[in-house]
Amino acid sequence: MLALLPRLRRFAIGLSGNPSDGDDLCQMTIERALANRSRWEEGTRLDSWMYRIMRNIWIDEGRKTTRSLQTFVAEEAGVGVGGDGAQEAAVELSNVDRAMQKLPEDQREAVLLVMVEGYAYKEAAEIVGCPVGTLNSRLVRGRDALMAMLGEAS
Amino acid sequence: MTITPEDIAAFADGELSGEREAQIAAAIAADPGLAQQVERHKSLKSMLSGHYSPVLDQPVPDRLAAMLSRPQPAEVVDFAAARERRESKRRLPHWGWIAGPALAASLALAVFLPGQGGEGPAYADTQLAGVLDDRLVADQSPGDETRVLLSFRSEEGRYCRAFSGSAGGGIACRDEAGWKLEALGEGSEGASTDYRMAGAGDAEILALAQEMAAGPALDAQGEQAAREQGWR
Repeated sequence: MLALLPRLRRFAIGLSGNPSDGDDLCQMTIERALANRSRWEEGTRLDSWMYRIMRNIWIDEGRKTTRSLQTFVAEEAGVGVGGDGAQEAAVELSNVDRAMQKLPEDQREAVLLVMVEGYAYKEAAEIVGCPVGTLNSRLVRGRDALMAMLGEAS
Repeated sequence: MTITPEDIAAFADGELSGEREAQIAAAIAADPGLAQQVERHKSLKSMLSGHYSPVLDQPVPDRLAAMLSRPQPAEVVDFAAARERRESKRRLPHWGWIAGPALAASLALAVFLPGQGGEGPAYADTQLAGVLDDRLVADQSPGDETRVLLSFRSEEGRYCRAFSGSAGGGIACRDEAGWKLEALGEGSEGASTDYRMAGAGDAEILALAQEMAAGPALDAQGEQAAREQGWR
């Protein structure tokens, strides 16, 4: 599980849009995974199982709270997600953060799981709990929306 | 043959095989517009992975790594969170020397020492003492009205337990007369979900517990053994 942490953080930061919410989400995911560790079936992929837990917590949290505070934070904190010092690069990176945050949840998670985490459609669909065809079309819609927001720069 | 955007995406992601893959590949070869869509899909993919992958090289925050390296996750989480909050208060930026005294005053208010009004030491009432005597951290549910946050041994070797609830929280240590209240604070209400983050009040109680503790918090076995001895 320890070896998975960097990847879990990446997914959490992608979902929530900024590092501090991402790390909180990570913490809740680890708590829940440890509490339910007996439910993990030996021989199945631990990473998929934990991604599914994380994604479920994220969806539950989203239903519970309005995200007004969070988007306020995201504007500032998101800029630094991958900053490498160069100002121009930092601005562009923050555009990616903002564009990702504008996607509906179902499209954002599909984009993250396939395009960032590198899951096959079938695996991503299992994590999300939807048919492969649905995942494919969410991915395409999310992708097209991102391209439209980010322009031809991509 | 109709080729949908979904087909193009699946092709670009290497999801197709066999005849279908060959069909799409042929169509793409014959249509520069489709080929361009494949390229755009791939370049967005590399842009996104380039954007997020620096996270992989960042050090994992201690509080997350610590959760996995000790036997009692629920306690360690709270402990680590408390330490982090305390340290972040100490690490006040630039204007810390102005805000510092005010902050210290508010902390002193949030966690105060009971029994200093000349009335002698305060002890837990029957109901609280019952919880402190019987409840193990591992057995309680997050929605309980009063929850024990953790147990530890003080410098003097006494067993102490930090507790929290809607009516307030604090730290009590067992002596010959009962559960002596060492600190009281605001506490936090139990949560109905199956995970629970330490509230702000809990964090201060836990930070204080950490200062009072002679060693790490008791694990589940340690708690059970202490209970069998009546916490003495």
